[in-house]
Amino acid sequence: MVAASLRGLPAANFGEAASGLEAIERVALGPVDLIVLDLNMPDMHGLEVLDFLRRHQAYRDIPVIVLTTRGDEASRTDALAAGASLYLTKPFAPQALAAQARALLRAQPEGA
Amino acid sequence: MSDPNLDGGEFFAQFLDDYFAECDEHLTLVRRHLLALEEQAGRPGVGQPLLDELFRSFHTLKGISGMVGLSEAEQLAHHLESYLRALRQGEARLGDEGVEALMAGVLMLEQVIAARRKEVAAPGIDAAVSRLQAAMSDSASDESAPPTLAGAEAEGETPRPGRDEAARTWRFEFAPTPALSERGVNVNSVRARLQEVGEILQAAPHVRGHGGIVFEFVVTTAADEAVFEGWREENLTYAPVEASAGDETRTPPPRPGTSPEREQVGAHAPVAASPGGAMLAPSNVVRVELSRLDELMRLIGELVTSRAHMEDGLKQLRRSVPPAEWRALQETSMAMARQLRDLREGVMRVRMVQVGEIFERMKFVVRDLTRESGKEIKLELQGQETEIDKFLVERMMDPLLHLVRNAVSHGLETVAERVAAGKPPEGRLTLRAATAGDNVLIEIADDGRGVDAERVLARARDRGLVAGDVRLGDELLLQLICTPGFSTRDEADRASGRGVGMDVVGGAVAELGGRLTLSTEKGRGTRFTVELPLTLAVADALIASVGGQRFAFPQSAVREIIEVEPSAVRALENNEIVSYRGGVLPLVRLARLFDLDEPSGKPFHVFVIGSGAHAVGLVVERVIGQREIVVRGLNDPLVKVAGVAGATDLGDGRVVLILDVAALKHSASGGRQPGQHVRARTRR
Repeated sequence: MVAASLRGLPAANFGEAASGLEAIERVALGPVDLIVLDLNMPDMHGLEVLDFLRRHQAYRDIPVIVLTTRGDEASRTDALAAGASLYLTKPFAPQALAAQARALLRAQPEGA
Repeated sequence: MSDPNLDGGEFFAQFLDDYFAECDEHLTLVRRHLLALEEQAGRPGVGQPLLDELFRSFHTLKGISGMVGLSEAEQLAHHLESYLRALRQGEARLGDEGVEALMAGVLMLEQVIAARRKEVAAPGIDAAVSRLQAAMSDSASDESAPPTLAGAEAEGETPRPGRDEAARTWRFEFAPTPALSERGVNVNSVRARLQEVGEILQAAPHVRGHGGIVFEFVVTTAADEAVFEGWREENLTYAPVEASAGDETRTPPPRPGTSPEREQVGAHAPVAASPGGAMLAPSNVVRVELSRLDELMRLIGELVTSRAHMEDGLKQLRRSVPPAEWRALQETSMAMARQLRDLREGVMRVRMVQVGEIFERMKFVVRDLTRESGKEIKLELQGQETEIDKFLVERMMDPLLHLVRNAVSHGLETVAERVAAGKPPEGRLTLRAATAGDNVLIEIADDGRGVDAERVLARARDRGLVAGDVRLGDELLLQLICTPGFSTRDEADRASGRGVGMDVVGGAVAELGGRLTLSTEKGRGTRFTVELPLTLAVADALIASVGGQRFAFPQSAVREIIEVEPSAVRALENNEIVSYRGGVLPLVRLARLFDLDEPSGKPFHVFVIGSGAHAVGLVVERVIGQREIVVRGLNDPLVKVAGVAGATDLGDGRVVLILDVAALKHSASGGRQPGQHVRARTRR
């Protein structure tokens, strides 16, 4: 679903991960331009994944969109504090997600 | 841990059924793999996939046995598993004694499970367990693992899952690479692998050196270090947590202060892709009770009858309906016939299992008997992939076992006897299965001494079963040894004295609509052939009239239909023959056989049964057509007649007898006046 709404992006390849560890493995194994992250995963909390990525030089600048059902302000603040580029709540508008993703990719500093 | 012996009532009973079914599946696999393993025993490094499969099966058996509280089975499976683990890791080498111990263990495991099924006390398992332990400690080489550890495993006085005293905590580190990921080795599969051997307490990612990521797992497991040793090649390193840091290259770095919460790897963790990719995929297999399939088969039988009824109705409509409409109806009816046939075949296929399943059990029996009897036997299997109805398999198991035991204990000679007779010392026992038309043939053949016809005859005379001057053919011989209570051996030895006699074998085969034949030659061997129908309920038949009555002939038995002018028939002694394909064909006049009127002077049809010198022609007046018929057995002894296989209803409500052409043919070629006994008994 999420992947489907991002199909509109130019020349994008998608990978999906079913768990936090798997997500990190994917990041480690190949260049990743953008991450859409759920907070509820079977092993790690989404914020732990985010925290992990942000604490490491190599992954610090990958834009991460947190996509979650938790609409409360505290979660939003936590996520943004942890380094989320964007905090979206479900239900979300596919076009909005695609547009935001595009904006984030463009905003990415060259040669980071 | 809760008491595994707690009984949860109904739920538990249902659970048990599942347990037995699953045990069956795993034991079948185990038997197959063990026998394959036996061939490779003694060679190093062979059969790793086999060992893996066996290990997994034992592991599962242990787990499920624990769940149902069958602690004997659990313990046995545990010891089997331990031994397998040692073998898998190259800690122990598999020799003949090891294979024997495994086989004995599996046999015992089967018995324990069977005992539970029958709700009787389980047999003692100590002998089998100590044998496994002995095999393990004998072959354990102390270079790859601390012997104390292997010893502790082998003792295993508390084989319950979660043997905490033996459990240790290890820190594993997995460094993913694209190459490994391509081979399916990734964080998920590694996690699944670790879950299989123990409990993951914690899992966390770490960044190493130049940005590479490693995953750290803290695992408690009772498994031997040797289990993980091979994993290092896959970037999965490990170290005991208690170990002092820095003494080994594989010691993980001090853990950075990441979130220290315990990982909850729950039930929804992705299902393991097992190492090596060999997946048992039980998820796309559905277990169905045989009785449900029987019900389906019965319904299809009824459909077949109804359609036949409809077709008859259609024929009568022909004149009163415009041809175009009638043809359309007729086409629909024919399409339905095809679909029905497909449906029938589809259901039949569901019921089919491979004969190999039985053969593998036979292998076990033969191994056992070989050891006990001190004979040398080479068992050959052919046609294991032949498929046979599950129902038949269940019913044929004991009779076939008996035939195999007979072959080993009576048929095959001891080494000394064989050598004295100028035969190779190793006796040969062949189990062969094949499909022949609508029949399945199962042959049990040995190259032993053959049935001692003289002795059988002498005994039969003693008991007044035969007249003094009878000439003994294979067929009569078979009849005699299948007589209830007939045995040429006074003492029933273990091999053949297991409650099933030849009379039961003959009875079981006949009951299933099959035929048992014997061919034996003194000094050369014995061959029993069991011929069983592929399907029980519905068959293709030719309908023909004889003496104004209709009879059904199983189509699979009829090789050819020929038309014969009365003038072409020649008399030879007591037989009538016609020339047929460059030879002669003896005729059997069915009308005479059944005491029916026979019109003379008209050309008639002949159904050719059998081939070559054994061919016989059954004389009928007119071939009416070809039909799918529902076979109903005639079980009432008053109407059970040799030469009649059953009855069917062609849809018009009239009952038609289905002829047992094989029996008719044999009564014709057996030297007796054809069908004498048939006539005597068909008279009212």
